[in-house]
Amino acid sequence: MIRTDNTKLDVSDIQGFALKGYNFPHARFLLLQLLHCKDAQSFLLKLLPDITTGERWDEKPLTTLNIAFAQQGLVKLELPLATLLSFPLEFQQGMKARREILYDTGKNDPANWDPVWQDERVHVWLAVYAQGLLALEDTCARILQTMDHTHGAKLLQAQDACSIYLNNQPTSYEHFGYRDGFGNPDFKGAERDCVPGQGKLATDGSWEALATGEFLLGYADEAGELPVAPIPHLLARNGTFMVYRKMHQNVAAFRNYLEDKGRSYPGGKEKLAAKFVGRWRDGTPVELSPEREDKSIVADDNRNTNFIYGNDLGGLRCPIGAHIRRANPRDAFGFNGQLINRRRIMRRGLPYGQYVPDGQPVNDQDERGIIFMALNASLFRQFEFVQQQWIEYGNDAHQGNDKDLLTGNHAGKSRFVVQGTADAKNPAFICAQLPNFVELRGGDYFFMPSLTALQMIASGTVDPR
Amino acid sequence: MANESGQVYGLTILSPIVEDQRLDIDHTTQLRWYLSTLPRDNTSPFAKVSSTYLARLVVLDDVVFVGKPACEEHLKSRYLIFETNFDGDLDTYLRRMASEAGEFVDAVWKHCVGYPGAGNSDAFVAYMKKCQLQTTFFFADVNDRTVKDTLRALQTQSALTHFIERNQGKPPAEIQKLFGVFLERLKSAPAPLPGGRADEKSATEDRPHD
Repeated sequence: MIRTDNTKLDVSDIQGFALKGYNFPHARFLLLQLLHCKDAQSFLLKLLPDITTGERWDEKPLTTLNIAFAQQGLVKLELPLATLLSFPLEFQQGMKARREILYDTGKNDPANWDPVWQDERVHVWLAVYAQGLLALEDTCARILQTMDHTHGAKLLQAQDACSIYLNNQPTSYEHFGYRDGFGNPDFKGAERDCVPGQGKLATDGSWEALATGEFLLGYADEAGELPVAPIPHLLARNGTFMVYRKMHQNVAAFRNYLEDKGRSYPGGKEKLAAKFVGRWRDGTPVELSPEREDKSIVADDNRNTNFIYGNDLGGLRCPIGAHIRRANPRDAFGFNGQLINRRRIMRRGLPYGQYVPDGQPVNDQDERGIIFMALNASLFRQFEFVQQQWIEYGNDAHQGNDKDLLTGNHAGKSRFVVQGTADAKNPAFICAQLPNFVELRGGDYFFMPSLTALQMIASGTVDPR
Repeated sequence: MANESGQVYGLTILSPIVEDQRLDIDHTTQLRWYLSTLPRDNTSPFAKVSSTYLARLVVLDDVVFVGKPACEEHLKSRYLIFETNFDGDLDTYLRRMASEAGEFVDAVWKHCVGYPGAGNSDAFVAYMKKCQLQTTFFFADVNDRTVKDTLRALQTQSALTHFIERNQGKPPAEIQKLFGVFLERLKSAPAPLPGGRADEKSATEDRPHD
């Protein structure tokens, strides 16, 4: 039965990570290799009661715990062959095998990844989010103890991530100095309020929640179909797919480039920085405020992501190739935005590495960047499409071979065009010789099961018939 | 008008392939092998027929329709499919194929029933028209200009973009002077070859100190 008019989701069955951003400042991603199947199952059974669901909190817990599996992890857990083979092809192959499709070549080639990601040993992603470091250490210690006790898994790497603190307060800024985290998609059944601009455009110009099936398996998606999902249905339902990408940021290279080009750009450095992304560094959308930052817009959830590009098809306010316009073109391709509705991703990223304020020397050899995580029902149709067609290519937006300035794998060839007019205050400007500001250091595709599915996996009762 | 979209002509040809039981390697296999060896860049035989936007050769084994209640339909023959979009009119194009790429055309169509050879231009044109089907879909990137004009436009766009990158921010008088030099160079630059790679540099880009 397909629920087309979505009412309530069974939030106790869905992992919390899939339903909401926790907004905790600290996280540790435990990358595990599973050992013998029976021991691994015992380990999972012991973790099960602590897995954070989507249930509403009366009081925020000190830490949360969520889990996801790479294909090789499910193989290790001896899921039935018919089930394993029914997972979507891209998930079975894994992100490394898909590198040509994703433009993960050259500097982003797996040969340059962290060793832990190079040889498909990461079976499980275990995410602990915490309000404070003590709580984080405590929870992780208990998990490792359980792991040792059951001999179920081996810790390959613990990847820490942490919100950037400014004035001793955690913020949603990232290392290039931009406030991040706007515009995550609204979908039916999620309990948070709909924020204008985050869903899909209705014909009257208002915003509606997207179909649940764009982000959770077992529900109708924007095409009115159930997304491709593994069998049995009970294994897939309330689960989703996640892409994890460790993206190293070359902060020095970015700051030098911005400084250099900002000198020749008549609008100045901050305006140029705003043109790169489509938001000023404080988060003000360029489309709504092309000349200056505006705190009042940023602070207002009814405004800070509430805009369309229909009145700016020439890119004179927000450049056509700006980062947020590439990742989510909204109505820029016509058809009232309908071409975009099946290309949305839910982002959950968090920075890693020490933050260095602007003006202080920073070394690009240091570990610093963003742990990019995105959730979607279809890696192929959603994440991979956006990555290949809109980030690493520009044809749909009539930008030729130009790549996204911020995250594109430029390899010395790409450029970024700021569209402009004959008005000296909003001139056309071309940024060439773009270095790779971001380099991929590893990652993979994961399946994030529901609690029911996790129980089945942990007790070896997955039955494809 | 059928087969035409603005200045562009869309040609679709279906030629039955010869069946000869006496051969060790049949015509279809020979044809497939030959097609797989053809280059697809500016050394392609179609680059010689320079009004070509897109050309495609496909060997069609069979198309099986299985219907219910049980029925099965097959093609009576194996076919060579030839699809191409080009500038101008059909006769001119076919004659150019025969004269500028005759060897290649013979090597392909000799495997097809009733092929008279590219040597006899009239017979060749008549043969191709006999095999013609109506074209209703065109290569999406085709516009209303000739191939030559389109390549020139792409070259100009690329060269101009590089000019802007190098010279933006300079004083207006200097830009004007440099632009004059740039225009002269662009005008005298050789036309880009059809079938070239997308990231190929244009003639004006090789000089670092424009």
